[in-house]
Amino acid sequence: MSYRIPGRGRVDHADPVRFTFDGKSLKGLRGDTLASALLANGIHLVGRSFKYHRPRGIVTAGSDDPNALVETSRDSGRFEPNTRATVQELRSGLAAESQNRFPTLEYDVGEVNNLLAPLFSAGFYYKTFMWPRNFWDKVYEPVIRRAAGLGRAPTEVDPDHYASRYAHVDVLVAGAGPAGIAAALAAARSGASVMLVDENSEIGGSLLSEPGVEIGGTPAWDWLADAAAELEALGVQVLPRTIAMGYYHQNMVGLCQRVTDHLDTVPANAPRERMWRVRAARVVLAQGAQEKPLVFDGNDRPGVMLAGAAQTFLNRFGVRVCDRGVVVTSHDSAYHAAFDLADAGAVIAAIVDTRSEIRDDLRSEARARGIEVLASHTVTGTKGRLRIKSVRVNPVASGRVLSPRTLFCDALLMSGGWTPALHLFSHTKGGLAWDAEAQTFLPDRKTENCEIAGAGRGLWGIGAALADGAKAGAEAAGALGREATTPEFDVTTDRAGTGRAHEELPTDRNPSRVRAFVDFQNDVTAKDIRLAVREGMRSIEHVKRYTTTGMATDQGKLSNINGLMIAADALGKTPPEVGLTTFRPPYTPTTFGAFAGYHRGAHFEVTRKTPIDPWAEAHGAVFEPVAQWRRARYFPQGEEDMDAAVERECRATRASVGIFDASTLGKIEVTGPDAVEFMNRVYTNPWTKLAPGKLRYGVLLGDDGYVRDDGVIGRISEHQFHVTTTTGGAARVLNTMEDYLQTEWPDLDVWLTSTTEQWAVVALNGPNARKVLEPLVEGLDISNAAFPMMSVADCTVAGLPARLFRLSFTGELGYEINVPARHGLALWEALMTAGAPHGITPYGTESMHLLRAEKGFIIVGQDTDGTVSPQDAGLGWALGSKKADFIGMRGLQRPDLVAKGRKQLVGLLTEDGAVKLEEGAQITAERDAPLPRAMIGHVTSSYRSPALGRSIAMALVKDGHDRMGEIVYIPMENEVIAARIASANFYDPDGGRAKA
Amino acid sequence: MNTDTETRPTAARVEPLPPEARFSLRARAHHLDRISEALWVGVPRRIGDIAENDARRAVCLGPDEWLLTLPEDQGAGLKARMAEIRHDAPHALADISDRELCYRISGPGAAQIVAMGCPRDLRALVTGRAVRTVFDGASVILWREAEDSFRLDIWRSFAPHALALVETGIEELRAGL
Repeated sequence: MSYRIPGRGRVDHADPVRFTFDGKSLKGLRGDTLASALLANGIHLVGRSFKYHRPRGIVTAGSDDPNALVETSRDSGRFEPNTRATVQELRSGLAAESQNRFPTLEYDVGEVNNLLAPLFSAGFYYKTFMWPRNFWDKVYEPVIRRAAGLGRAPTEVDPDHYASRYAHVDVLVAGAGPAGIAAALAAARSGASVMLVDENSEIGGSLLSEPGVEIGGTPAWDWLADAAAELEALGVQVLPRTIAMGYYHQNMVGLCQRVTDHLDTVPANAPRERMWRVRAARVVLAQGAQEKPLVFDGNDRPGVMLAGAAQTFLNRFGVRVCDRGVVVTSHDSAYHAAFDLADAGAVIAAIVDTRSEIRDDLRSEARARGIEVLASHTVTGTKGRLRIKSVRVNPVASGRVLSPRTLFCDALLMSGGWTPALHLFSHTKGGLAWDAEAQTFLPDRKTENCEIAGAGRGLWGIGAALADGAKAGAEAAGALGREATTPEFDVTTDRAGTGRAHEELPTDRNPSRVRAFVDFQNDVTAKDIRLAVREGMRSIEHVKRYTTTGMATDQGKLSNINGLMIAADALGKTPPEVGLTTFRPPYTPTTFGAFAGYHRGAHFEVTRKTPIDPWAEAHGAVFEPVAQWRRARYFPQGEEDMDAAVERECRATRASVGIFDASTLGKIEVTGPDAVEFMNRVYTNPWTKLAPGKLRYGVLLGDDGYVRDDGVIGRISEHQFHVTTTTGGAARVLNTMEDYLQTEWPDLDVWLTSTTEQWAVVALNGPNARKVLEPLVEGLDISNAAFPMMSVADCTVAGLPARLFRLSFTGELGYEINVPARHGLALWEALMTAGAPHGITPYGTESMHLLRAEKGFIIVGQDTDGTVSPQDAGLGWALGSKKADFIGMRGLQRPDLVAKGRKQLVGLLTEDGAVKLEEGAQITAERDAPLPRAMIGHVTSSYRSPALGRSIAMALVKDGHDRMGEIVYIPMENEVIAARIASANFYDPDGGRAKA
Repeated sequence: MNTDTETRPTAARVEPLPPEARFSLRARAHHLDRISEALWVGVPRRIGDIAENDARRAVCLGPDEWLLTLPEDQGAGLKARMAEIRHDAPHALADISDRELCYRISGPGAAQIVAMGCPRDLRALVTGRAVRTVFDGASVILWREAEDSFRLDIWRSFAPHALALVETGIEELRAGL
């Protein structure tokens, strides 16, 4: 049967929408939420609770609903667990499934937990699963993990797009109820740029549920239409379906906009959600208030719903949630829900009020409708397995609960009053103050440029919200130097009211048998909270963690104040003495997709590629990530694996010529009259006497004296250096240099420019390197005599403007050719052609690492770890001992840097040359000393050397430089490997090949 | 109120810009007059300002930093003129013609495309100004050439990443939601 009232609400009665729930085909209307459509079909039962698997129904009409979590899907890839039925708009073909039940929602074997409930008290996990200890890993945790969680995780990759957008506005208004709309209008009329957002599908907030109100003689919904038109005319950016989910520093507010979930079909490339990051000069928080449940036995039965939600379902969606309802309340607002439902044809069996004093006008309106009002009453139980059938109510006199009577009903509408939505304000670390009269926390001390308007600061009624919103909007505009006026609002038939807050309702039944829920989603009862207090929890934060109240996906929107009232009562303290837990973003559950935005798949993180990368890709290179770059690691031919390819590449380079893309090296142009002074202060080496046209290997330390970076540096002219850095260190080195220049030496006339990407760099190495290069060079004699090792000059290579370095990171005759980046690929191809007669062989980073290891050249970050001094690394020769200062000079004089016993970089040769050490393996001085055995170092680099025909390694070993020739031991899982300490300069130790 | 099926005109487009000579200029304020003479364009003193003289442009990026752009065939001449004043007006002039790739994003949705990756307040970037900022995590120089036309200078290796977002954004605008 249908509970839809023809013609009523803001849904389109002429546009039916088909959907399914648990496989059953149902009909709703355009404009419905999934929840309102289910209720229109008489369905309250939508899920099972998390812990006890109790049947649960729809409780609220908004994003705070703790129970109405269902799985929804559009197609197999577009599957989402824990969709809130009260938020999800109905779309054609929407498939919804209930969760946390097996085999069906009506008959769920997990319900056995409900019978065992006395076992699952607060702190149950902490108490029960402590012993025996070894049961935790193998038994308890796996079982708990299987039973825990709501819904099923999706198994397919999410095919949807997610978008991001930055925005800047003068005034951001969060919440488009009467207060928010009035604020947006007031601010926009002053000329401010305004953004107005609301989580619902349309603006209006409480006005959508209160069509009977008249504002300035205009019915609420007509006023709303006029307001929407004016907002548009004023250029206000109105974003419905958009939740202000986090309020961050300096008025940065995160908004999550639902873009396509409500659409029957999704246009190509449309994002499912969009995360807005809005920087607003002023923020107006107009988020309204949330209705609280009352806490009594059986308050979680399907059909027990918040009175305000019933009113919303009726007035906004045209759905009567019951035939025969009972209302239980401690607040005036529920009377209006009762009256509206009665006027719509439902029977209201009674209004049960916990208060003794009831307003005369409410009494007489109830009387006029034939509704019995039971003042000073309590609710002590409900019945009905999958839907409420009756409610047990008792009069309370002088603190005593008297005899009960039973009222039959198919819905129980409750109201425990309203809680201002303080969440976003709480994100700002704004202070809260307890209002003893209203028995609620209100926003107090502000930390950000924001205003709070309307029900969000405890004002009740449409008239008060409108006036307060307009005032907040005007104040926001005024703070921006604009002149804003606050209009008067003449609101008639406004239904403002008051109420009181409660701990759990009094009962005449055995308290140990009472199941009065505080947190529906986490199945926390009033009893659990009192138990937590008895067991020693004093702070609300401890009570929260011990009982899990407020820790569900609704973040305690319904439960926090009720939980606090009960804890305060148990502790004999006032609520502000016990305190409120801190709300944290996001305000409502937010998808990972919305946070990730565009950064997924190939766009997850930037991948930097060199100008020569396309050639490497076309020639089958295997790549590896180095910092943000991808670099060719090796170039396999045929079936070659990495070892085979690297061996071939290395042999070819040593025998003839190899070619390597070195474009990723960091490059910094250091220019100015004080360039040489600057270089002397930054690098350890002396630079004054380095002549233009010459290169030098430079070492950069930190203040602490440890090696930070290295690279070959060319003096281009008296006033200019061409610095190279490691690939990963480029940005860091430039930042370090700028830092010193700006803060320590602002007097120096020298400037730094990153030229990393200005140049593409190709390295040629091997005895035939000159033969390949020479015919291509113009404007420079590169004979060994005219252009010796460690020279630099500008010239032309293959017709391209070039800066030529002669250096060697391989031990062979080597050149690095720099050309403007756009020419990098052309240079590479020209060299490949010129080198073809010599069997020129491209090699990657793996061969580069091996070739340098054969020479004992360090790689900063591999052979050093931030605690290695230049002396430790065997680079003592690079220290300008006569210099007045350089970065790290003082650090090098620290006692522990000059003491014996430091780990020093050495070569290691395994006794059996066929055995290759593991990088990172620990080293001991003795083979069989008792455990624990002292570790004296570790292996930093290890390779099979084609040139030496055996394995080689580099290691940091305690006092290693004094241990030359000694045998050390490397204990591995199944063996102990013996190795001899040697110089790391394994290959061509005299360096004759590079100078040839 | 079904899917918005209205066919929209292309809201934005992106195009690569042809090569030009580009230099990074660093100098102290009291030498700027001398330097401006040699540059044949007066360097602006306010960050974000652009000075232009006969296709030579100088953009003030920081208190002592300018970007110079000029036709490719004028690069060598500029270098030579600046070398002559090196002793009178110390400065650094680094050729960065190949460091960045440059793109123009234009059309009614251009600002929305930029706002997908740039956290700056684009209302404050008025036509005829340029600033160093970030776009999708990459450092860029963002020029506002007209109300609905932006230029992005991006380090070469970051350009494909940034461009991919621009193209995704164009498709997103085309979807009209």
